[in-house]
Amino acid sequence: MTQPIIRLEDISKIYGSGNTEVRALLDVNLVVEPGEYCAIMGPSGSGKSTAMNVIGCLDRPTSGRYYLDGVDVAGLSDTELAHVRNRKIGFVFQQFHLLPQLTAMENVMLPMVYAGISYNERRQRAEEALTRVGLANRLSNKPTQLSGGQQQRVAIARAIVNRPVMLLADEPTGALDSQTTQEVMAIFAELNTSGITVVMVTHEPDVARLTRRIVWFRDGQVVHSHLAPSELSQTAVFS
Amino acid sequence: MDMLESVKMAVKTLTANKMRSTLTMLGIIIGNASVITMVGVGQGAQRYASEQFESLGPNVLFIIPGSDDARSNSFDLPRNLTLEDAEAIANQVPSVEAVAAQLQTQQNVTYRNRTANTLVLGTTPEFTTVRSFDVERGRFFTDSDVQRNTRVAALGSELAEKLFGTANPIGEQIRIRNVSFQVIAVMQEKGAFLGNNQDDTVIIPLTTMSNRVTGNTSPYGTEVTVISATARDEASVNAAQFQISNLLRLRHKVTTQDDFVVRTQKDALTIVGNVTGALTLMLAAIAGISLFVGGIGIMNIMLVSVRERTQEIGLRKAIGASRQDILVQFIIEATILAAIGGVVGTAIGIGGVTLIGATTPLKAGVSTTAVILAVGVSGTIGLFFGVFPARQAAKLDPIVALRSA
Repeated sequence: MTQPIIRLEDISKIYGSGNTEVRALLDVNLVVEPGEYCAIMGPSGSGKSTAMNVIGCLDRPTSGRYYLDGVDVAGLSDTELAHVRNRKIGFVFQQFHLLPQLTAMENVMLPMVYAGISYNERRQRAEEALTRVGLANRLSNKPTQLSGGQQQRVAIARAIVNRPVMLLADEPTGALDSQTTQEVMAIFAELNTSGITVVMVTHEPDVARLTRRIVWFRDGQVVHSHLAPSELSQTAVFS
Repeated sequence: MDMLESVKMAVKTLTANKMRSTLTMLGIIIGNASVITMVGVGQGAQRYASEQFESLGPNVLFIIPGSDDARSNSFDLPRNLTLEDAEAIANQVPSVEAVAAQLQTQQNVTYRNRTANTLVLGTTPEFTTVRSFDVERGRFFTDSDVQRNTRVAALGSELAEKLFGTANPIGEQIRIRNVSFQVIAVMQEKGAFLGNNQDDTVIIPLTTMSNRVTGNTSPYGTEVTVISATARDEASVNAAQFQISNLLRLRHKVTTQDDFVVRTQKDALTIVGNVTGALTLMLAAIAGISLFVGGIGIMNIMLVSVRERTQEIGLRKAIGASRQDILVQFIIEATILAAIGGVVGTAIGIGGVTLIGATTPLKAGVSTTAVILAVGVSGTIGLFFGVFPARQAAKLDPIVALRSA
């Protein structure tokens, strides 16, 4: 039996204490298997962002256990968490978060710098990743010389270049128009088909519908988890 | 992440903000340049003054009127040193070779329609020996000139040129404070001593000076400003100092504090060394403050930069940079700024010192110690003032940093 990529066991995240206590997550249990393509949805304040931060090892849960690729990450130090983020998780953000002074190529190479990979291999792998997202002819452009969709594709290339076990996308289409949203979602689907696990927080039902499973959060808890309509009707994402 | 990558990354960030980087470095550049220039000037002044006193020769002694108290508390020194004291030293102190009493004042000196305000120096014939100051043309006055109050004068080379141009001054009459003197000699070129131009001067017999020019004698006898003496050899300088002191104590009936002081060349060198050393230290301290301020400038800019780059820091942390990676990155940025500023500042400082050395009599030279110190200090300052902002950056929570817009 394969290890789940994500296994959250009774995860709680509580901010503050006493009267001002905020329970962002309450005994959340969630399993994501390898190769899944999963959207996390829910109204604002439902805890989906907090869940995202915990899953992304950017934040520690107050209680509970979190196994990422079989490793309990709740007890890891800051440096160890940085290492986990570097090797196992690829982040894609709503605002792209590319460094403006670096070219597309250099932006994609950045995670490998922190992984201690040699310059030649960094170049080669960055070029491959950018080719994969369809930007082979934009290697030396700076972010300001790219459209929003292209910038997000650079960010996706940066997320996959270290060969993580999963892609974690926080509202990846939030800053894009519907045309580029489709393009970016097509890339996620293609990556997922090739075997990469994708977890995405979104509030757009149109976007969530393109994934294969939807997890609903409300009041800090998982209230519902079902297959996405695309899976139910067996229609291809590429239609 | 290895060091080379960190340095490359820092260079990239710094060159992306050229204006800011340059302004930040400016503080260190100015600080460094001023430390090196100031220390160079200070030490130059020290060397210059030392050489001036060394040029007097090791055997020279000066006898100056006034007690230690009087000299430290007042500009108005007692006029208790006399020509008779000088004669007594010459006659009674065995370790002394030659003695020259000097009385000096600033006066107008006139030849026909030309006037020069210059130093008038009354002395005795031994002056030429004691101060190694010889005549170029003519003859210096003699003891009999001194005894007979003769109105004769020896001109410094520059004054001679001022008053007579290319004409021969020997035998001509000049007027000092409306008393006419016959020029009997022109002195050799001597150069400046501690900023006093020794060539722009007129030398006359001490007695004539005292009776006709200054017109006042102290109650003790013929007043003099200073007595110069030479010991027989270098070994007898201390003996001469001791013997002169004893003789003058007797003559001045001193019971408590000496009302004069005898200084050897070595004493003078020590005093000059102390004064100019303190001067150098003061200059270095002032310059050091500007270097320190430059360091604070670096810290300030780095703190601003941390604020400005919170998103970048958050992103870097999200994609796998550890606290230490961020810390190192910011420290390296600060250190590079300080190091480049240090090198540029040093270059400017060396340039400044060389320029001052070439254009002024100060023997300004680049002090290796100052260079090492300035570069070392600026590097340390970069490191030191870089740590605080770097820690701020490293402490940033990636979630908060990513969210901040």
